[in-house]
Amino acid sequence: MATQDTKKEPTANSLKSGRWVASSCKMCLHSCGNMIHVTDEGVINKIEGNPTNPSNNGKLCPKGNSAIMRHYDPARFKQPMRRTNPERGCGVDPMWEPISWEEALDTTAREIKKSMDEDPRKILPSIEDFQKFNIWAWPLSFGNFNFYQSGGTMCGGAYHPMNGFIHSAFGCANDAKYCNYWINNGTGDGFSSHLHAAAQSNWVAKARTERNMRVVSIEPRLSIGSAKAEEWVPIRPATDRHFAMGMAHVLIKEGLCDYKFLKRDTNAPFLVGEDGYFIRDENRQCYMWDAKNNCAKLWNDESIGEIALEGNYEVNGKPCRTGFQIYKDILEECSPEAMSEVTTVPAETIARIAREFSTAASIGATMKMEDGRTLPLRPAAYNYYRGAQGHKHGAQTNQSFKLVNILIGNIDAPGGHMGVVLDTKEVDINHCVPGESGMLTPTPHQLGPTPPFAYPPNTYHLMDYFPLGVHPPHFNLLVHDDPTKWGVEFTPDVIVNCHSNPVWAIQGPRNKWFDFLRSMRFIVCVDLIPTEMTDWADIILPSSDVLETWNCTMIEPPHTEGQSFRQPAVPPLHDTKSEEEIFYEISERMGILEAYNDVVNKTLGFEGHPELMLELDKKYTDKEIAERKGKLWNGEDIDWYMERGHSVTEKRLDKWYRPWEGSRLHFYIEDFLVERDELKQKMESADVPFRDEWEWDDYQPLPTPVLDPVHEEPPEYDLYAITFKDIQLNFGESLSNPWIKDIVYRDPVHTGLLLNPKTAAAQGVEKGSIVLVESPYGRLYGRINITEGMHPETIGVSNALSRMKSQDSGVLPAGGHFNDMLPYDLRNTDAASGQPETVCKIKLTKLDDWPDFLKEGRTVYDQIEEYENAKGKGGQH
Amino acid sequence: MAITDKVFSGDTLRVGYRFQRHWDNSMAYAFFFAEVGGGLFFVSLLLNSVMGMVLGLIMVSTGKPYFHLAHMGVPTKAWRAMLRPDRSWISRGLLGLGAMIGTGVLYVIALSFGDQLGIAADSGLVWLLKVSSAVFCLVVMSYQGFAMSHSSAISIWNSAIMPMSSLLYSLTIGVAVAMVIVSDDQANSLAGTQLLLFMGLGIMHLMFLHGGWHGSPGAKTSVELLLQTLYTKWYLGLVIAIGIILPALLLWAMPGSKVVAIIAAASTLAGFLAWRILIFKIGVYEPIMSMNPFHTAN
Amino acid sequence: MAKMGMVFDLKACIGCNACVIACKQENSLPDGVFFTKTLSEEYGVFPMANRVYIPTICNHCEDAPCEKVCPSGATYTREDGIVMVDDDKCIGCSSCSVACPYDQRTQMDAENFLKGLFGTGEITPFEEQGYGRYTPGTVTKCDFCSQRVDVGLDPACVVTCPTNARIFGDLDNPDSAPAKMIRERHGRPPMPEKNTKPKVFYVN
Repeated sequence: MATQDTKKEPTANSLKSGRWVASSCKMCLHSCGNMIHVTDEGVINKIEGNPTNPSNNGKLCPKGNSAIMRHYDPARFKQPMRRTNPERGCGVDPMWEPISWEEALDTTAREIKKSMDEDPRKILPSIEDFQKFNIWAWPLSFGNFNFYQSGGTMCGGAYHPMNGFIHSAFGCANDAKYCNYWINNGTGDGFSSHLHAAAQSNWVAKARTERNMRVVSIEPRLSIGSAKAEEWVPIRPATDRHFAMGMAHVLIKEGLCDYKFLKRDTNAPFLVGEDGYFIRDENRQCYMWDAKNNCAKLWNDESIGEIALEGNYEVNGKPCRTGFQIYKDILEECSPEAMSEVTTVPAETIARIAREFSTAASIGATMKMEDGRTLPLRPAAYNYYRGAQGHKHGAQTNQSFKLVNILIGNIDAPGGHMGVVLDTKEVDINHCVPGESGMLTPTPHQLGPTPPFAYPPNTYHLMDYFPLGVHPPHFNLLVHDDPTKWGVEFTPDVIVNCHSNPVWAIQGPRNKWFDFLRSMRFIVCVDLIPTEMTDWADIILPSSDVLETWNCTMIEPPHTEGQSFRQPAVPPLHDTKSEEEIFYEISERMGILEAYNDVVNKTLGFEGHPELMLELDKKYTDKEIAERKGKLWNGEDIDWYMERGHSVTEKRLDKWYRPWEGSRLHFYIEDFLVERDELKQKMESADVPFRDEWEWDDYQPLPTPVLDPVHEEPPEYDLYAITFKDIQLNFGESLSNPWIKDIVYRDPVHTGLLLNPKTAAAQGVEKGSIVLVESPYGRLYGRINITEGMHPETIGVSNALSRMKSQDSGVLPAGGHFNDMLPYDLRNTDAASGQPETVCKIKLTKLDDWPDFLKEGRTVYDQIEEYENAKGKGGQH
Repeated sequence: MAITDKVFSGDTLRVGYRFQRHWDNSMAYAFFFAEVGGGLFFVSLLLNSVMGMVLGLIMVSTGKPYFHLAHMGVPTKAWRAMLRPDRSWISRGLLGLGAMIGTGVLYVIALSFGDQLGIAADSGLVWLLKVSSAVFCLVVMSYQGFAMSHSSAISIWNSAIMPMSSLLYSLTIGVAVAMVIVSDDQANSLAGTQLLLFMGLGIMHLMFLHGGWHGSPGAKTSVELLLQTLYTKWYLGLVIAIGIILPALLLWAMPGSKVVAIIAAASTLAGFLAWRILIFKIGVYEPIMSMNPFHTAN
Repeated sequence: MAKMGMVFDLKACIGCNACVIACKQENSLPDGVFFTKTLSEEYGVFPMANRVYIPTICNHCEDAPCEKVCPSGATYTREDGIVMVDDDKCIGCSSCSVACPYDQRTQMDAENFLKGLFGTGEITPFEEQGYGRYTPGTVTKCDFCSQRVDVGLDPACVVTCPTNARIFGDLDNPDSAPAKMIRERHGRPPMPEKNTKPKVFYVN
């Protein structure tokens, strides 16, 4: 206890007598390498980053530092349980009754099977374990494509397909290793969020401090990234595309592009007819224009003297333009002055950033790589994520950002804008496949197969009509409102939920979602701790946590490849099981074991590897799956992984830089039109009644400056509302963790609704005012915080102020939920990608006091008040 | 910058003024008892009022340690507080307190029971007890002020005003209470002194406010807290009006009245207690703003 | 003899507070107790507004006021300059707390340990293995993870910092990373006007 004794027996946790276990993190969906210290008594008392892992370099973010508090959370589910209170609801005590695993699994399997036997479409999976695609893919075992989870549209509904189109990759990042001019638009990449927060912020900090990399951050709120940036460009919400198009206008107008790249490495010179389709010959080969010989030639004709990038031509009597010319024509109306009107960003700022961006890109410069290749060096890159891309015209928006990068030729170039594969096994199965007319084969379906067209639909969220997008989970509610309208002939009655909190995470008003959940016959939740969602469960199947289980995975690491290995640091604290065990037991009882193993073999890539293939009639443990995944990556057995904790190395240069070398990238995405017309035709043939309502204009081969409908709400909604997270809250559950809570609710950006002081004055509110925030779709109560770091047209709502009451008393409810204020309709959903609008227009009303329902019990604002008034020794202060 | 625009960061992660909260009301009461008891003992010593001396000794030997122990995190080790008189005013004060009680009690015994014990009232020993207890009493009356002024952390405390306040208040309170318990003649003769002391307190408060206002941002903030916030009514009403102006006026108008002496003593004590509490409450740590290259001093 | 100190790189720090939680982990701190904090401050007017993140920690002052006022001798300075608190000697008088200009002292109230990190009145095995190092009622602070330093490791907050914004080492060694950084990037101590000679510096 005292200092003198410390020399004998250390009191610092990491120095106590014990052992270190090399494992990996799961406090967000990524997988930083960590080291877990277990005392001789078997207590986990310290988790540090694994310094041998070149991704996170021994660093951990605040969430990664907090895993112990998840492990020892007294609220953890300690054994299987059954509800005894028939009344279900967030915050309503289910009155759990412990039951045996046998009974829990039997009941669960029986109830699911009942629906499966009637109609497998009645099962609604909500499986969000992103580190275990073998669990994620489970519904495919009975051909079910339903989707009731937030992953997708609330992260990157349009983002992932666009990365598939351009890089044939799942995510994207800027190359921190060489970049000198880093634009972040609506993303915290390198500062607070996006891919591997601890890893990427480590790489970016090095670039900033060692190389003076310049950062420009474009977003309505002064986030961490904006605060660290050399320049914060505040922008009106949902106008990021217009900013990017303003930049593109300047790049093209002033001749600041990488023309060699555009001509050689993209389809920008391909000739496009008036119908939007490429001009093709009888073998479907595309044409380019030979400016030297003044005639059209096939793309692979070696006699082309000089490829024309611009121009209007005629081929076989058909008028046509190059794809580049089409974008140039669209950009005519996107002058910085015009875009300034839309974005509120000064025209000169848009133009200046475009010029700086092009200058920093050092167009023409090359770099000799260690692998012998000489590559274009383009140390300027434009990255973006949820804040910028999560809008109605998501596909166009994403493409507008990609095009800014394409114009300066930085795609997958050193210092440029990079595609990041989801699971690094894709690297070796060569995710870049040459396609038609020398173009890279686009892979917009980054999360596996999507269901084929059908009418009546086979999915409850209408995924049958999104051949190009990510699942739109909010449409579950749209269909629930009026199933007849959408021709849905089945009613889901069973939810299989695993590490997912859809009732919190998906947009649309809570009371309607509650109604949706009440319509379920049976809900099973596989989870660790109570959440808003588990309050609705009939059966709880408690899973073991990340410190008690095996896994092997790698989720979109920006600069590295390999597998992060997870192994149990301690045996399960409670009577819990791994997700694998749970789903194998359920599958066996449902009689789908063979189908499930077949799905896992395909999903994890064991197919084609006889030594790894799962035998169809066997059940496997998490350890057996992890072992196979490790072997699949590098042939090493489990002991090798147990010792090292990972097989992560820096990305091989040929897999990282221009892995598509020799193919042309999609500047012009004809596929949007192809898919649109195919879908149209199918809808016509099937006489789909809502086909006229479908937002056909959303499918565009190039972005347009069309306004998102959020800007056209009735004028009384005079402010925009945005929501945000920060590095303490990345992905998934955070606030149940006392260490996270201890820092989040002391941080001024998370303690009130953020408003610019001028706006506050105009609205007649001040710091501390209690307000009602109403959008055309829903409402939220909150308390005002004043900050100069908000765009004056915008109110900012931290995600930490959107929790609801649940059985986890550690998570404090706030005054409603931001997601209540978001629409869930067709008008505000991108038909091309399924991405819904994630900002809204609102009006503010100042209230004298909290509404009655918020006066009962403790809310997050009571906690914040305690911190702000610093009650403690000495009373008031 | 107005006080209402200043950031008080409470227990948040925001840069701003942080309130002194480690020394709580308990400490204020302990300080109060030391200075009231010390002052009364000292004045009574000069007036040869055994009753006053006994009352003073009781206060410093009960109230003060009681509230100190109530504040202390590990009261069982309280004795350790006297180990570092070489550098700590707390240690010096504690030793002074022990010595004052020791010599003071012996002096009172010698005075009261000298006859039975065969000690002459004018003996060298008694004189030594008297002088030494007076000196130790002065330490008790002032060391708390030194302990506070020694703190560079709480800027408003970090000035010579603090020991001056301790000594002046101690004397004033001593005189005020003495005027209640001593003979009318003696009390009458003290009225003039007391008016001078009140004047001294007034000047001390003006110096305090002036110094703070023109001091560091933290010191100014403390003064603003006294003059422009919910503390203002307590400061101006209780500390200044009831604690100084009212008793001064009463003594000036009716110097000979016992009733007035009682009222004056009570209001002076009330004002002093409020002062002792407020001076802890308005203490603030300076914000660590100097790290921000763009911050504007205020 | 070394002089251990720390440099905070304000350009790198992203205010994520991973350091704060690493410290809570390493030192088994009860709820609401911090040995280090990363603060934020906004300045400027929209659109030129900005926010700076300022890590704070015990500055291990060479002229430590907390040590000077400590009446029990509990606060002392090790040979390598780390200012320590011997909680066998500490009486919990909080004199150090009001003497530290940086408000880096915390009294360990007994109730801190009883309510537990989850506020349930029960403590987790993690807390159970860790709380024994503290004596309720004593006043504590950061000790630069002195035990880790003794075995050649960096403090827990330094090791985890994703942006390398915390640099630790011997300031007396001109070749050490923090000494170099202070020299090359003009490191400044916090509140130099308090004359405490901090061994923590800030660079921008």
